[in-house]
Amino acid sequence: MSSQEDESAGGGSEPAEPSSSPSTEIGTTSGDIITVTIGATVPTGFEHTAAEEIKEKIGVDARISKDRGRVFFPITTDKLFQVHLLRSVDNLFVVVEEYHHYQFKESKEETLMELQQLASTLPWTNALEVWKQNGTLKKKKGHRRGGNTAKSKPNCEGVGGSMASTEQQELPQENSAPEGWAGDTQAMETSTQDSDETGHGSKLIKFRVTCNRAGDKHSFSSNEAARDFGGAVQEFFQWKADMTKFDIEVLLNIHNEEVVIGIALTEESLHRRNISHFGPTTLRSTLCYGMLRLCKPQASDIILDPMCGTGAIPLEGAIEFNHSFYVAGDNNDMAVNRTVNNICHIQKRRADKGSMSGLPIDTVQWDLCSLPIRTSSVDIIITDMPFGKRMGSRKKNWDLYPSCLREMARVCRPGSGKAVLLTQDKKCFSKAISRMGGLWRKQHTVWVNVGGLHAGVYLLKRTGAVFVKLEDAFCVCLQFTSELILNWLQI
Amino acid sequence: MKLLTHNMLTSHVKGVTKGYPLLIKATEVKVNEVEFNPQFVSRMIPKLEWSALVQAAEEDLPGELVADYETNEEFLKKVHRILLEVEVLEGCLQCPESGREFPISRGIPNMLLNEDEA
Repeated sequence: MSSQEDESAGGGSEPAEPSSSPSTEIGTTSGDIITVTIGATVPTGFEHTAAEEIKEKIGVDARISKDRGRVFFPITTDKLFQVHLLRSVDNLFVVVEEYHHYQFKESKEETLMELQQLASTLPWTNALEVWKQNGTLKKKKGHRRGGNTAKSKPNCEGVGGSMASTEQQELPQENSAPEGWAGDTQAMETSTQDSDETGHGSKLIKFRVTCNRAGDKHSFSSNEAARDFGGAVQEFFQWKADMTKFDIEVLLNIHNEEVVIGIALTEESLHRRNISHFGPTTLRSTLCYGMLRLCKPQASDIILDPMCGTGAIPLEGAIEFNHSFYVAGDNNDMAVNRTVNNICHIQKRRADKGSMSGLPIDTVQWDLCSLPIRTSSVDIIITDMPFGKRMGSRKKNWDLYPSCLREMARVCRPGSGKAVLLTQDKKCFSKAISRMGGLWRKQHTVWVNVGGLHAGVYLLKRTGAVFVKLEDAFCVCLQFTSELILNWLQI
Repeated sequence: MKLLTHNMLTSHVKGVTKGYPLLIKATEVKVNEVEFNPQFVSRMIPKLEWSALVQAAEEDLPGELVADYETNEEFLKKVHRILLEVEVLEGCLQCPESGREFPISRGIPNMLLNEDEA
């Protein structure tokens, strides 16, 4: 995609011409049930998985946007709490307005002026009502569900006014550039407190605008759009602009001709919810969930992650698909310890809430090329294979991939077994599979983006072919040949 | 280490042919409450090596499975407890053929082999 992409946030500075006070008083219509459109960001490649989950848990059909990594669905305000049950979404926002074929003006000045004028004409009421209700929901739930306060590092220094592109995160990075609002960890920690204290409407509302822009035909930058649009919003609502301690985050998404204005419902990305002890390449939970859904775990399935790292995938499984049993394994000391720490953290959280804390998951330290597991005893293998970039190396992969694929084929149940494997080293992987002598069959591939790298999630079926060790095969062959000769001699 | 996991673990020391089941030598055991799901238990039983579980459990589990165990809730609850709720935190697993011991620490069995054993 040869499009320019950039994102920035603006708190508003230049006031547009004075406009009348908006009639969108916050706090008027509670009690009326209204229908709104919710937008959700999901890991690219898993839009259909998210749509499935939305259909399952909310009962509506989701629309997948052309702008990858986003889905939209309608919801009534009485069912709003359900959106927080979704495990495949990173961030949620309520749509104020959507334009599918926005005609931008020729010049930059005219375009920006139009954006400013847009602010006062948009249908804010319903979206703000949803934002308000969502705030109450979050208060009821208590403090946020994730557990990573201690570990997350603030990733933007420059605050206020225009931030030059990008919040490329220092956090184990799975977000690619265009996703604007997942950043700003600093913001979320302070703003949570503020939101709890702000009597919505009774105190001065603080806001910021985050703009994401992608496309090569725009005459303006996201900076400029955020600044001018933000300025008009400020003027219209008489809110105060604040980059870090904001109550409301207004989102301005411009993708070629598609323009979406929304209000954020999640303060921080939901993708780190389970992990408190990070490793160097921890996979976000939403991606883990997507991979798990792909293999459709059944009751009493035995699911192995032979290179579990911090245990993100099996842990998500033990929580969300808890009618199966998960064994997480790794050869590395730190990895298995982190996995156990993460499991304990979740169990403690559950115990604190009064529910049964035990999870159907176990951890073992092993060498995945020689698994200490009975042959044909595992139903599903699901793992994030070393890409050869941050972990291991490409050269190592040439030896590693074939041997671990063989071991995985050995322990996996022939005929019914499955594997879901994430890797960026697609060439090495495909070659290794093709040389496996028919033990695995590729069923489906999902292309995803992990930390800016183009990776594949491969769904494999274990064929009915029985795994035979080379030495055994040789012996059988020899025996067969000798029997044949003997028979011939006797004739 | 839960006993369900133990049921799948085997010794893979080079040259060993009868590395299953591993003998459990536990010095610290814990019991953790896990939500009971009868379907999970009844569907898991056929996947297990039953005799190995009986040996590991040290409780009175019948040596042979009763017919229609699927509907015997009391039996299923007992198996549920043994499979999922009992955890070995410290101790070791011993290969029945070579005698090699694999340590268990913090509930994690370390099955890594030395270079000469692989």
